[in-house]
Amino acid sequence: MEQLKVVGKSELRVDAKDKVSGKAIYPADIYMENMVYGYTVRSTMPHAEIAVDKKAAEAYPGVLAVFTAEDVTGLNHHGVVFKDHEVFCSKKVRRIGEPIAFVVAETMTAAKAAAKLVNVEYKELPAVFDPIEAMKEDAPKIHGDSNILYHYKLRKGSMDEAFSKCAVVVESTYETSMVDHAFLQPEAGVAYVEEDGTITLVVATQYPHYDREEVAEALGLPHDRIKILTAAVGGAFGGREDVTVQIHLTLAAMKLNRPIKTIYTREESFEAHSKRHPMKMKYKTGALADGTLYAMEAEIVGDSGAHASWALNVLRKAGVHATGPYTIPNVKVDSYAVYTNNPFTGAMRGFGAGQVPMAYEQQIDEIAKRLNMSPIEIRLKNCFKVGSETATGQVLEESVPLTETILKAAEAMNFEAKDQSSSRKKKGKGIASIFYGTGYGNGFPDVSNARAELKADGRIYVYAGATEVGQGAKTALSQIAAEAVGVQLDAIVFINEDTSKTPDSGTAAASRQTYNTGNGIKIACEQLRLEMLELAKEVLKLNTTVGLRINNGIVEVKSLPGRNISLEALYAEAAKRGKNLKIDRTFVAHSVRMDDETGQGAPYWPYTFAAFGVEVEVDTDTGKVDVLNAVCAQDVGKAVNPMLIEGQIEGGFAMGMSWTLYEDLGLQQGKIKNNNFSNYIIPTSLDMPEIKNIIVEAPESTAPFGAKGIGEPVMIPAMPAILNAINDAVGIRITKLPASPQEIVRLLKEKQA
Amino acid sequence: MHVEALKEKISFKLNGKEIEVEADPSMRLIDFLREVLGLTGTKEGCGEGECGACTVIIDGSTANSCLVLTSQIKGKELYTIEGLQKGEELHPIQQAFIDAGAVQCGFCTPGMVLSAKVLLDKQPEPAEGDIKRAISGNLCRCTGYKKIETAIKMASDYMKKDGAE
Ligand code: FES
Ligand code: FES
Repeated sequence: MEQLKVVGKSELRVDAKDKVSGKAIYPADIYMENMVYGYTVRSTMPHAEIAVDKKAAEAYPGVLAVFTAEDVTGLNHHGVVFKDHEVFCSKKVRRIGEPIAFVVAETMTAAKAAAKLVNVEYKELPAVFDPIEAMKEDAPKIHGDSNILYHYKLRKGSMDEAFSKCAVVVESTYETSMVDHAFLQPEAGVAYVEEDGTITLVVATQYPHYDREEVAEALGLPHDRIKILTAAVGGAFGGREDVTVQIHLTLAAMKLNRPIKTIYTREESFEAHSKRHPMKMKYKTGALADGTLYAMEAEIVGDSGAHASWALNVLRKAGVHATGPYTIPNVKVDSYAVYTNNPFTGAMRGFGAGQVPMAYEQQIDEIAKRLNMSPIEIRLKNCFKVGSETATGQVLEESVPLTETILKAAEAMNFEAKDQSSSRKKKGKGIASIFYGTGYGNGFPDVSNARAELKADGRIYVYAGATEVGQGAKTALSQIAAEAVGVQLDAIVFINEDTSKTPDSGTAAASRQTYNTGNGIKIACEQLRLEMLELAKEVLKLNTTVGLRINNGIVEVKSLPGRNISLEALYAEAAKRGKNLKIDRTFVAHSVRMDDETGQGAPYWPYTFAAFGVEVEVDTDTGKVDVLNAVCAQDVGKAVNPMLIEGQIEGGFAMGMSWTLYEDLGLQQGKIKNNNFSNYIIPTSLDMPEIKNIIVEAPESTAPFGAKGIGEPVMIPAMPAILNAINDAVGIRITKLPASPQEIVRLLKEKQA
Repeated sequence: MHVEALKEKISFKLNGKEIEVEADPSMRLIDFLREVLGLTGTKEGCGEGECGACTVIIDGSTANSCLVLTSQIKGKELYTIEGLQKGEELHPIQQAFIDAGAVQCGFCTPGMVLSAKVLLDKQPEPAEGDIKRAISGNLCRCTGYKKIETAIKMASDYMKKDGAE
């Protein structure tokens, strides 16, 4: 194989210059002539019938319109899987924060003042906030006649006597918390009508093409009347997958024929978008005397809140990943997604695969302890290797460097060396290893379209609807394109911001863009290269394309560099011949639907692996946990851009640590109490440990240059590694997140008693 | 964003230039910068002084422009992110942020760069702890801060070499 020239290098981000100079345009940065402002009226009750009177608000000076359910011109709904969100609530509200009206006025001040005059009469209905309660027959129903919206079953081997054969069995329940993405840029957007009648929406989104469908359906327009422009996105992490501002803005622009803008406050942002599914997990794991994991039974209940969003997919992913990256012959998993009147939950980095390690990683550690094995030894013994079979019966035939990640993490943190401090501050070390299946999964068509075109300036224009959300997609995918065509990075023009120009490349989520869209771009670019060389052969009067290379924007005969043609000239030659050097290609990821009764199938591909080790210090008086060091060994397949990967790992670790130790919505009766950064705590620079990144490469043959997606796997091991380290330090087991000082003190007291 | 109120003449130094403008003194500085002067590099992440995305430099110190009123900048020297580069040439701190991979979504970046500038202006060779403290009022959800800290160290080297600023 020829050496890679662009892939594998820490190329500088293509979007960085605009971002450091303040020139990058986020949606809130757009100001237009004649622009008006919109403000959303939201429900203040978790479950109620409503009657809306908007007359007083309409009469307020400066108000142009107050839109409610009756004004929606198409279908008054949206939703990524089930259409169970209303654009505006018509008869009922199901959570606090659901949109009821959108007030449009000449100024934001007027819109906000008038919003107070929208009179919503609530007739309160019984509500339910605990998903276990919500599963009961007599619980208040959120939608339809059952709150259970999904049940995934995984069955492998036989549970009869499985546990009785085990030398050690551990059993416990665990509860993860509902948390917010807390991306730094609150939702905002601008919509306007173009001269030809196209309704254009500028927004920060993860999936512009899907937004276009949702908007078109709600407005009752064909989707080619709608154009979505993706502005710079100030972080996403899954929280920009569901529609927030999109339909309200386009509807208002269409009706009023004026540019309209909205910006959410931080508090409103907390109410408007999805959250991470909190999960209640009943887990039982057994091992034979030699440490071989033998049986696992798990029941996982995820709180979907008032809407389904991605609940099916999240609870499915939780179920598939319930065993952790370990071979276990006998497995029974049931996972459920349940409606409640809580804030709705959806996609968030980790997507179900991030919650279950709280259980499986703590249980494997506990088993090791009881069998007198080290946490490293038990993981090495049971972890997936090439040829292993997952609980769904999927054979991992390549790119499974989990053993290597565990060994490297253990070595780098000197895992076995123990700090024998006896002061009130106790140190401890913990390790966690995880796996993560890329993509939508379960046989759902996971499609990325991409286009590559040689243009008159001699550069390669790559079109893909893959959003840059900060993860570096634009840079990494440009590198893949450059490598595939055989040009330098600066010869690639990457266009991903406009649905009227780009093909649909699926969502910027599920860690799928590098693998899926990367593949689509690679095959389009390879074909473009072939056609470019074919034409060069013709123009240069050669008998073959063998021996041709592209060098600095010139196609030349390797052994006779004087015989050449520039890419600009090549474009002109193509144009002369009426030929388009423009290639469209589609990549569809491999995924086999699972059996409904047994969960057997090949739901995701590829899987990515990681092992993180951490050292913590626990203050036994105050319960405060400091993470001192972290070692992050991350499988990447092949590193497209090591510097971008390191940035992802460090940010992922911070997010995982924050979830474990700090974040708390203070949810009470469906109401988010901690809705700004003074009480919703995320880490500052002072909270972060030293982080050592270890990039482990094991190229995957179906991936573009071997590269797998890492956006989510990089955060998943942080939480269980910290929890295991806390146990190592002070001997308590965290069964409820966050591991707050109060919770630690409570558990320490309980232990002493 | 704001009710029309009585305007006043306000003069101050913006990004190195003396200016005098008609402004509503009770407007938040961030709104004045973004909406009146069109300087949208200053970002709003919380509006409550908690995130630092709106950081600007007033008389050599960082300030959260969401908590400052326009009246408070009379006679002061104000820097925003737009004032750092000279034409196309980036300030060494901006270049270091690019080179170190300190930028992801970029929403915290202008504020981070300005906090770094205040630090390096006062302390050209900061210790690790100084760097961490200097950006502890700037939240970043993407990077875990590590590459930002590296960038600030790198910028300190760049500036030493340049002998500039
Ligand atoms: S917007 Fe001013 S500190 Fe957050
Ligand atoms: S780069 Fe996204 S918040 Fe800092």
